Amino acid sequence: MLLANNIVFNRDNKKILNKINLTISYEKIIHVTGNNGSGKTTLLKILTNILEPKEGGIFWDGKNIKKDPFIFYKNLTYIMDRTSSNVSLTVDENIFFWMRLFSSSRSIKEIESILELLSLYQYKNTLVSSLSYGEIKKLELVRLIIEQKKVWILDEPYIGLDQISTNLISETIINHARLGGMVIFTSHIPSNIPNLEILHLKNYEND
Amino acid sequence: MKTINSIVAVLQREFRITFRNFSDILSIFLFFFIGIMIFVFSVGANNDIFNQIGIGIIWTLILLTNNLTLRKFYQDDFNDGSLIIFHLSGLSYELIVLIKIIVNWFVIQIPFFILIPIAGFLLNIEIFNIKIIFISFLLGSPIITCITSISGSMNLLNKKNFAIGSLIIMILSIPVIIFSVGLVNTAEELMRDQINILLGIMFLFLAITPWICSICIKLAIQEK
Repeated sequence: MLLANNIVFNRDNKKILNKINLTISYEKIIHVTGNNGSGKTTLLKILTNILEPKEGGIFWDGKNIKKDPFIFYKNLTYIMDRTSSNVSLTVDENIFFWMRLFSSSRSIKEIESILELLSLYQYKNTLVSSLSYGEIKKLELVRLIIEQKKVWILDEPYIGLDQISTNLISETIINHARLGGMVIFTSHIPSNIPNLEILHLKNYEND
Repeated sequence: MKTINSIVAVLQREFRITFRNFSDILSIFLFFFIGIMIFVFSVGANNDIFNQIGIGIIWTLILLTNNLTLRKFYQDDFNDGSLIIFHLSGLSYELIVLIKIIVNWFVIQIPFFILIPIAGFLLNIEIFNIKIIFISFLLGSPIITCITSISGSMNLLNKKNFAIGSLIIMILSIPVIIFSVGLVNTAEELMRDQINILLGIMFLFLAITPWICSICIKLAIQEK
Protein backbone atom coordinates (compact mmCIF):
# COMPACT_ATOMS: atom_id res chain seq x y z
CA MET A 1 0.00 0.00 0.00
CA LEU A 2 1.18 3.51 -0.86
CA LEU A 3 0.25 6.21 1.60
CA ALA A 4 0.67 9.97 1.37
CA ASN A 5 0.30 11.52 4.78
CA ASN A 6 -0.50 15.23 5.26
CA ILE A 7 1.53 16.45 2.29
CA VAL A 8 2.31 20.15 2.30
CA PHE A 9 4.34 21.69 -0.50
CA ASN A 10 5.23 25.33 -1.16
CA ARG A 11 7.11 26.81 -4.08
CA ASP A 12 8.53 30.35 -3.93
CA ASN A 13 6.38 30.98 -0.83
CA LYS A 14 3.28 29.97 -2.80
CA LYS A 15 1.16 27.18 -1.41
CA ILE A 16 0.88 24.38 -3.97
CA LEU A 17 -0.33 21.40 -1.91
CA ASN A 18 -1.96 21.69 1.50
CA LYS A 19 -2.43 18.65 3.73
CA ILE A 20 -3.04 16.09 1.01
CA ASN A 21 -3.85 12.61 2.28
CA LEU A 22 -3.95 9.71 -0.11
CA THR A 23 -4.12 5.94 0.18
CA ILE A 24 -3.48 3.80 -2.85
CA SER A 25 -4.20 0.17 -2.15
CA TYR A 26 -3.99 -2.80 -4.49
CA GLU A 27 -6.57 -2.92 -7.31
CA LYS A 28 -7.24 0.79 -6.91
CA ILE A 29 -7.10 3.47 -9.62
CA ILE A 30 -6.91 7.15 -8.69
CA HIS A 31 -7.43 9.98 -11.16
CA VAL A 32 -5.87 13.27 -10.03
CA THR A 33 -7.64 16.26 -11.54
CA GLY A 34 -7.27 20.01 -11.19
CA ASN A 35 -6.61 23.19 -13.11
CA ASN A 36 -3.22 24.16 -14.46
CA GLY A 37 -0.88 24.95 -11.57
CA SER A 38 -2.97 23.05 -9.03
CA GLY A 39 0.00 20.77 -8.27
CA LYS A 40 -0.88 17.53 -10.07
CA THR A 41 2.63 16.90 -11.43
CA THR A 42 4.11 18.13 -8.14
CA LEU A 43 2.06 15.57 -6.21
CA LEU A 44 3.27 12.76 -8.49
CA LYS A 45 6.87 13.92 -8.09
CA ILE A 46 6.45 13.87 -4.31
CA LEU A 47 4.95 10.37 -4.50
CA THR A 48 8.02 9.22 -6.45
CA ASN A 49 10.45 10.89 -4.00
CA ILE A 50 11.74 13.25 -6.70
CA LEU A 51 10.47 16.26 -4.75
CA GLU A 52 10.58 16.59 -1.02
CA PRO A 53 7.41 17.85 0.72
CA LYS A 54 7.66 20.64 3.26
CA GLU A 55 5.59 18.55 5.65
CA GLY A 56 4.31 15.00 5.66
CA GLY A 57 5.71 11.83 4.20
CA ILE A 58 5.16 9.03 1.71
CA PHE A 59 4.99 5.49 3.03
CA TRP A 60 5.32 2.25 1.10
CA ASP A 61 4.17 -0.84 3.01
CA GLY A 62 4.45 1.13 6.24
CA LYS A 63 7.98 2.44 5.67
CA ASN A 64 8.90 6.00 4.77
CA ILE A 65 10.23 5.85 1.19
CA LYS A 66 12.89 8.45 2.05
CA LYS A 67 14.74 5.88 4.17
CA ASP A 68 15.38 3.51 1.27
CA PRO A 69 13.74 4.76 -1.93
CA PHE A 70 15.12 1.83 -3.96
CA ILE A 71 12.81 -0.63 -2.15
CA PHE A 72 9.88 1.45 -3.41
CA TYR A 73 11.44 1.94 -6.87
CA LYS A 74 11.51 -1.86 -7.32
CA ASN A 75 7.71 -1.62 -7.38
CA LEU A 76 7.31 1.62 -9.29
CA THR A 77 6.91 2.62 -12.93
CA TYR A 78 6.79 6.36 -13.41
CA ILE A 79 5.73 7.85 -16.72
CA MET A 80 6.64 11.51 -16.76
CA ASP A 81 5.08 14.43 -18.59
CA ARG A 82 8.25 14.26 -20.72
CA THR A 83 9.30 11.39 -22.98
CA SER A 84 12.50 9.69 -21.94
CA SER A 85 13.20 7.76 -25.16
CA ASN A 86 16.38 8.98 -26.81
CA VAL A 87 15.85 10.61 -30.19
CA SER A 88 19.22 9.40 -31.55
CA LEU A 89 18.22 5.76 -31.04
CA THR A 90 15.67 3.64 -32.91
CA VAL A 91 12.43 2.38 -31.35
CA ASP A 92 14.01 -1.08 -30.94
CA GLU A 93 17.19 0.28 -29.37
CA ASN A 94 15.21 2.27 -26.81
CA ILE A 95 13.09 -0.76 -25.96
CA PHE A 96 16.08 -3.09 -25.57
CA PHE A 97 17.78 -0.47 -23.42
CA TRP A 98 14.77 -0.29 -21.07
CA MET A 99 14.48 -4.09 -21.01
CA ARG A 100 18.10 -4.39 -19.93
CA LEU A 101 17.96 -1.41 -17.56
CA PHE A 102 14.98 -2.87 -15.69
CA SER A 103 16.06 -6.53 -16.14
CA SER A 104 12.73 -7.24 -17.81
CA SER A 105 11.66 -10.84 -18.25
CA ARG A 106 9.35 -10.00 -21.17
CA SER A 107 10.06 -11.92 -24.35
CA ILE A 108 10.75 -10.20 -27.66
CA LYS A 109 7.52 -11.73 -29.01
CA GLU A 110 5.47 -10.12 -26.25
CA ILE A 111 7.07 -6.73 -26.90
CA GLU A 112 6.51 -7.06 -30.64
CA SER A 113 2.83 -7.85 -30.14
CA ILE A 114 2.49 -4.72 -27.97
CA LEU A 115 4.22 -2.66 -30.64
CA GLU A 116 1.73 -4.05 -33.16
CA LEU A 117 -1.19 -3.14 -30.89
CA LEU A 118 0.15 0.41 -30.61
CA SER A 119 0.82 0.58 -34.39
CA LEU A 120 4.52 1.04 -33.73
CA TYR A 121 5.80 -2.27 -35.14
CA GLN A 122 6.54 -0.84 -38.58
CA TYR A 123 8.73 1.82 -36.93
CA LYS A 124 10.87 -0.54 -34.86
CA ASN A 125 14.00 0.31 -36.86
CA THR A 126 13.11 3.98 -37.19
CA LEU A 127 14.91 6.69 -35.25
CA VAL A 128 12.71 8.19 -32.53
CA SER A 129 13.52 11.64 -33.97
CA SER A 130 11.46 10.66 -37.04
CA LEU A 131 8.33 9.76 -35.04
CA SER A 132 5.40 12.04 -34.26
CA TYR A 133 4.74 13.21 -30.68
CA GLY A 134 1.86 10.76 -30.30
CA GLU A 135 4.04 7.85 -31.45
CA ILE A 136 6.85 8.86 -29.05
CA LYS A 137 4.27 9.03 -26.24
CA LYS A 138 3.02 5.53 -27.11
CA LEU A 139 6.62 4.27 -27.11
CA GLU A 140 7.04 5.73 -23.63
CA LEU A 141 3.97 3.83 -22.44
CA VAL A 142 5.56 0.54 -23.59
CA ARG A 143 7.68 0.92 -20.43
CA LEU A 144 4.60 0.00 -18.39
CA ILE A 145 4.67 -3.46 -19.96
CA ILE A 146 8.46 -3.81 -19.94
CA GLU A 147 8.98 -2.93 -16.29
CA GLN A 148 6.21 -5.17 -14.84
CA LYS A 149 5.89 -3.17 -11.62
CA LYS A 150 2.96 -3.02 -9.17
CA VAL A 151 2.63 0.75 -8.83
CA TRP A 152 2.02 2.87 -11.91
CA ILE A 153 2.33 6.63 -11.53
CA LEU A 154 1.39 8.28 -14.80
CA ASP A 155 1.59 11.98 -15.57
CA GLU A 156 -0.83 12.88 -18.37
CA PRO A 157 -0.70 9.47 -20.10
CA TYR A 158 -3.39 10.40 -22.66
CA ILE A 159 -1.76 13.55 -24.05
CA GLY A 160 -1.01 13.24 -27.77
CA LEU A 161 -2.80 9.91 -28.17
CA ASP A 162 -5.55 9.13 -30.69
CA GLN A 163 -8.89 7.61 -29.58
CA ILE A 164 -7.81 3.99 -30.25
CA SER A 165 -4.62 4.37 -28.21
CA THR A 166 -6.51 6.22 -25.45
CA ASN A 167 -8.95 3.31 -25.13
CA LEU A 168 -6.05 0.85 -25.20
CA ILE A 169 -4.26 2.66 -22.38
CA SER A 170 -7.50 2.78 -20.33
CA GLU A 171 -7.96 -0.97 -20.84
CA THR A 172 -4.34 -1.60 -19.84
CA ILE A 173 -4.83 0.44 -16.66
CA ILE A 174 -8.03 -1.46 -15.80
CA ASN A 175 -6.33 -4.82 -16.40
CA HIS A 176 -3.34 -3.83 -14.31
CA ALA A 177 -5.60 -2.93 -11.37
CA ARG A 178 -7.61 -6.13 -11.85
CA LEU A 179 -4.39 -8.15 -11.60
CA GLY A 180 -3.55 -6.57 -8.26
CA GLY A 181 -1.69 -3.46 -9.35
CA MET A 182 -2.32 0.14 -8.33
CA VAL A 183 -2.47 3.18 -10.57
CA ILE A 184 -2.48 6.91 -9.98
CA PHE A 185 -2.63 9.21 -12.97
CA THR A 186 -3.25 12.84 -13.84
CA SER A 187 -5.32 13.91 -16.80
CA HIS A 188 -7.43 16.82 -17.97
CA ILE A 189 -9.49 14.43 -20.07
CA PRO A 190 -12.44 12.79 -18.22
CA SER A 191 -11.69 9.09 -18.04
CA ASN A 192 -14.09 6.29 -18.96
CA ILE A 193 -12.49 3.92 -16.44
CA PRO A 194 -15.13 2.49 -14.06
CA ASN A 195 -14.80 2.56 -10.23
CA LEU A 196 -12.34 5.40 -10.45
CA GLU A 197 -11.46 7.38 -7.35
CA ILE A 198 -11.04 11.05 -8.16
CA LEU A 199 -8.75 13.39 -6.24
CA HIS A 200 -9.42 16.99 -7.19
CA LEU A 201 -6.65 19.47 -6.38
CA LYS A 202 -7.57 23.12 -6.01
CA ASN A 203 -5.48 26.19 -6.72
CA TYR A 204 -4.43 28.30 -3.74
CA GLU A 205 -4.28 32.08 -3.76
CA ASN A 206 -0.93 33.73 -3.05
CA ASP A 207 -0.36 34.40 0.63
CA MET B 1 23.33 -8.72 -10.78
CA LYS B 2 20.43 -6.38 -11.58
CA THR B 3 22.61 -3.34 -10.83
CA ILE B 4 25.38 -4.65 -13.10
CA ASN B 5 22.79 -5.19 -15.85
CA SER B 6 21.61 -1.61 -15.41
CA ILE B 7 25.19 -0.25 -15.47
CA VAL B 8 26.01 -2.20 -18.65
CA ALA B 9 22.74 -1.00 -20.24
CA VAL B 10 23.51 2.65 -19.51
CA LEU B 11 27.14 2.27 -20.69
CA GLN B 12 26.00 0.67 -23.97
CA ARG B 13 23.37 3.36 -24.49
CA GLU B 14 25.84 6.16 -23.87
CA PHE B 15 28.41 4.76 -26.30
CA ARG B 16 25.71 4.10 -28.92
CA ILE B 17 24.34 7.65 -28.69
CA THR B 18 27.85 9.13 -28.80
CA PHE B 19 28.88 7.21 -31.90
CA ARG B 20 25.50 7.86 -33.55
CA ASN B 21 26.32 11.57 -33.21
CA PHE B 22 29.87 11.08 -34.46
CA SER B 23 29.89 14.41 -36.29
CA ASP B 24 29.75 16.16 -32.90
CA ILE B 25 32.95 14.41 -31.77
CA LEU B 26 34.61 15.02 -35.12
CA SER B 27 33.92 18.75 -34.92
CA ILE B 28 35.41 18.82 -31.41
CA PHE B 29 38.68 17.30 -32.63
CA LEU B 30 38.68 19.52 -35.71
CA PHE B 31 38.47 22.47 -33.32
CA PHE B 32 41.61 21.16 -31.57
CA PHE B 33 43.52 20.79 -34.84
CA ILE B 34 42.45 24.13 -36.27
CA GLY B 35 43.54 25.69 -32.96
CA ILE B 36 47.00 24.10 -33.35
CA MET B 37 47.23 25.33 -36.95
CA ILE B 38 46.27 28.87 -35.90
CA PHE B 39 49.16 28.85 -33.40
CA VAL B 40 51.54 27.54 -36.08
CA PHE B 41 50.48 30.26 -38.53
CA SER B 42 50.49 33.07 -35.96
CA VAL B 43 53.82 32.27 -34.28
CA GLY B 44 55.65 31.05 -37.40
CA ALA B 45 58.07 28.15 -37.84
CA ASN B 46 60.21 28.86 -34.80
CA ASN B 47 61.22 25.52 -33.30
CA ASP B 48 62.68 26.99 -30.10
CA ILE B 49 59.49 28.87 -29.19
CA PHE B 50 57.29 25.80 -29.76
CA ASN B 51 59.65 23.61 -27.74
CA GLN B 52 59.18 26.02 -24.85
CA ILE B 53 55.47 26.79 -25.12
CA GLY B 54 54.21 23.81 -27.16
CA ILE B 55 52.99 21.83 -24.14
CA GLY B 56 51.17 24.94 -22.90
CA ILE B 57 49.49 25.38 -26.29
CA ILE B 58 48.40 21.73 -26.37
CA TRP B 59 47.04 21.83 -22.82
CA THR B 60 45.20 25.11 -23.44
CA LEU B 61 43.53 23.67 -26.53
CA ILE B 62 42.64 20.46 -24.67
CA LEU B 63 40.88 22.60 -22.05
CA LEU B 64 39.03 24.64 -24.67
CA THR B 65 38.05 21.45 -26.48
CA ASN B 66 36.64 20.01 -23.25
CA ASN B 67 34.65 23.22 -22.84
CA LEU B 68 32.80 22.31 -26.02
CA THR B 69 31.63 19.02 -24.51
CA LEU B 70 30.27 20.74 -21.40
CA ARG B 71 26.66 21.24 -22.56
CA LYS B 72 26.35 17.62 -23.70
CA PHE B 73 27.53 16.07 -20.43
CA TYR B 74 24.16 15.93 -18.61
CA GLN B 75 21.85 18.39 -20.36
CA ASP B 76 20.14 16.04 -22.86
CA ASP B 77 19.51 13.30 -20.28
CA PHE B 78 18.31 15.93 -17.83
CA ASN B 79 15.89 17.54 -20.29
CA ASP B 80 14.20 14.31 -21.38
CA GLY B 81 14.08 12.84 -17.86
CA SER B 82 16.49 9.97 -18.59
CA LEU B 83 18.49 10.75 -15.45
CA ILE B 84 15.33 10.09 -13.40
CA ILE B 85 14.65 6.85 -15.28
CA PHE B 86 18.24 5.65 -14.65
CA HIS B 87 17.73 6.45 -10.96
CA LEU B 88 14.37 4.67 -10.75
CA SER B 89 16.05 1.57 -12.21
CA GLY B 90 18.08 1.33 -9.00
CA LEU B 91 21.20 3.32 -9.87
CA SER B 92 22.24 6.03 -7.44
CA TYR B 93 23.01 9.44 -8.92
CA GLU B 94 26.63 8.99 -7.83
CA LEU B 95 26.88 5.81 -9.92
CA ILE B 96 25.22 7.52 -12.90
CA VAL B 97 27.83 10.32 -12.66
CA LEU B 98 30.66 7.76 -12.58
CA ILE B 99 29.27 6.06 -15.70
CA LYS B 100 29.05 9.42 -17.46
CA ILE B 101 32.65 10.23 -16.48
CA ILE B 102 33.91 6.86 -17.80
CA VAL B 103 32.09 7.29 -21.13
CA ASN B 104 33.24 10.88 -21.55
CA TRP B 105 36.84 9.93 -20.76
CA PHE B 106 36.81 7.13 -23.33
CA VAL B 107 35.11 9.13 -26.05
CA ILE B 108 36.66 12.57 -25.60
CA GLN B 109 40.04 12.01 -23.92
CA ILE B 110 41.31 8.72 -25.41
CA PRO B 111 41.48 10.13 -28.98
CA PHE B 112 43.88 12.77 -27.65
CA PHE B 113 46.49 10.03 -27.17
CA ILE B 114 46.59 9.90 -30.99
CA LEU B 115 46.06 13.62 -31.53
CA ILE B 116 48.78 14.80 -29.13
CA PRO B 117 51.74 13.23 -31.04
CA ILE B 118 50.36 14.64 -34.30
CA ALA B 119 49.98 18.08 -32.68
CA GLY B 120 53.51 17.68 -31.24
CA PHE B 121 54.81 16.91 -34.73
CA LEU B 122 53.04 19.99 -36.17
CA LEU B 123 54.54 22.16 -33.43
CA ASN B 124 58.01 20.56 -33.84
CA ILE B 125 58.12 19.53 -30.18
CA GLU B 126 60.97 17.17 -29.21
CA ILE B 127 60.10 13.49 -28.78
CA PHE B 128 61.12 13.56 -25.09
CA ASN B 129 58.75 16.46 -24.43
CA ILE B 130 55.91 14.66 -26.26
CA LYS B 131 56.46 11.71 -23.89
CA ILE B 132 56.15 14.11 -20.95
CA ILE B 133 52.92 15.54 -22.37
CA PHE B 134 51.66 11.95 -22.63
CA ILE B 135 52.37 11.25 -18.96
CA SER B 136 50.84 14.55 -17.85
CA PHE B 137 47.77 13.94 -20.02
CA LEU B 138 47.37 10.40 -18.71
CA LEU B 139 47.05 11.85 -15.20
CA GLY B 140 45.45 15.15 -16.16
CA SER B 141 42.71 13.90 -18.48
CA PRO B 142 40.62 12.16 -15.77
CA ILE B 143 40.86 15.39 -13.74
CA ILE B 144 39.69 17.46 -16.71
CA THR B 145 36.79 15.03 -17.27
CA CYS B 146 35.81 15.31 -13.59
CA ILE B 147 35.98 19.11 -13.77
CA THR B 148 33.84 19.10 -16.94
CA SER B 149 31.38 16.83 -15.14
CA ILE B 150 31.18 19.20 -12.13
CA SER B 151 30.74 22.17 -14.40
CA GLY B 152 28.14 20.33 -16.54
CA SER B 153 26.09 19.40 -13.47
CA MET B 154 26.31 22.95 -12.08
CA ASN B 155 25.08 24.23 -15.43
CA LEU B 156 21.84 22.29 -14.86
CA LEU B 157 21.13 24.66 -11.99
CA ASN B 158 21.93 27.69 -14.06
CA LYS B 159 19.25 28.49 -16.61
CA LYS B 160 20.59 31.84 -17.79
CA ASN B 161 24.36 32.20 -17.94
CA PHE B 162 26.02 29.22 -19.59
CA ALA B 163 29.42 30.97 -19.77
CA ILE B 164 29.78 30.34 -16.02
CA GLY B 165 30.24 26.61 -16.76
CA SER B 166 33.24 27.36 -18.97
CA LEU B 167 34.62 29.70 -16.33
CA ILE B 168 34.40 26.96 -13.69
CA ILE B 169 36.37 24.61 -15.95
CA MET B 170 39.06 27.23 -16.53
CA ILE B 171 39.41 28.11 -12.85
CA LEU B 172 39.42 24.53 -11.54
CA SER B 173 41.92 23.50 -14.24
CA ILE B 174 44.60 25.95 -13.12
CA PRO B 175 46.38 23.48 -10.75
CA VAL B 176 46.27 20.77 -13.44
CA ILE B 177 47.82 23.13 -15.98
CA ILE B 178 50.50 24.31 -13.52
CA PHE B 179 51.67 20.79 -12.65
CA SER B 180 51.19 19.30 -16.13
CA VAL B 181 53.01 22.04 -18.02
CA GLY B 182 55.53 22.27 -15.18
CA LEU B 183 56.58 18.66 -15.84
CA VAL B 184 58.46 19.73 -18.98
CA ASN B 185 60.47 22.45 -17.31
CA THR B 186 61.11 20.75 -14.00
CA ALA B 187 64.39 19.09 -13.01
CA GLU B 188 64.45 15.31 -13.41
CA GLU B 189 64.68 14.65 -9.65
CA LEU B 190 61.54 16.79 -9.03
CA MET B 191 59.52 15.11 -11.75
CA ARG B 192 58.38 12.27 -9.47
CA ASP B 193 57.04 14.82 -6.96
CA GLN B 194 55.10 16.66 -9.65
CA ILE B 195 53.64 13.36 -10.87
CA ASN B 196 52.65 12.47 -7.29
CA ILE B 197 50.88 15.82 -6.91
CA LEU B 198 48.99 15.22 -10.17
CA LEU B 199 48.08 11.72 -8.95
CA GLY B 200 46.84 13.22 -5.69
CA ILE B 201 44.68 15.78 -7.53
CA MET B 202 43.33 12.98 -9.76
CA PHE B 203 42.28 10.79 -6.81
CA LEU B 204 40.81 13.80 -5.01
CA PHE B 205 38.63 14.69 -8.01
CA LEU B 206 37.64 11.06 -8.62
CA ALA B 207 36.51 10.89 -5.00
CA ILE B 208 34.58 14.16 -4.77
CA THR B 209 33.12 14.54 -8.28
CA PRO B 210 30.32 11.91 -7.97
CA TRP B 211 29.11 13.52 -4.72
CA ILE B 212 29.22 17.10 -5.98
CA CYS B 213 27.56 16.22 -9.30
CA SER B 214 24.85 14.07 -7.72
CA ILE B 215 23.91 16.92 -5.35
CA CYS B 216 23.72 19.36 -8.29
CA ILE B 217 21.61 16.88 -10.34
CA LYS B 218 19.21 16.27 -7.45
CA LEU B 219 18.81 20.02 -6.86
CA ALA B 220 18.29 20.66 -10.57
CA ILE B 221 15.63 17.92 -10.81
CA GLN B 222 13.82 19.38 -7.80
CA GLU B 223 13.91 22.86 -9.28
CA LYS B 224 12.69 21.86 -12.77
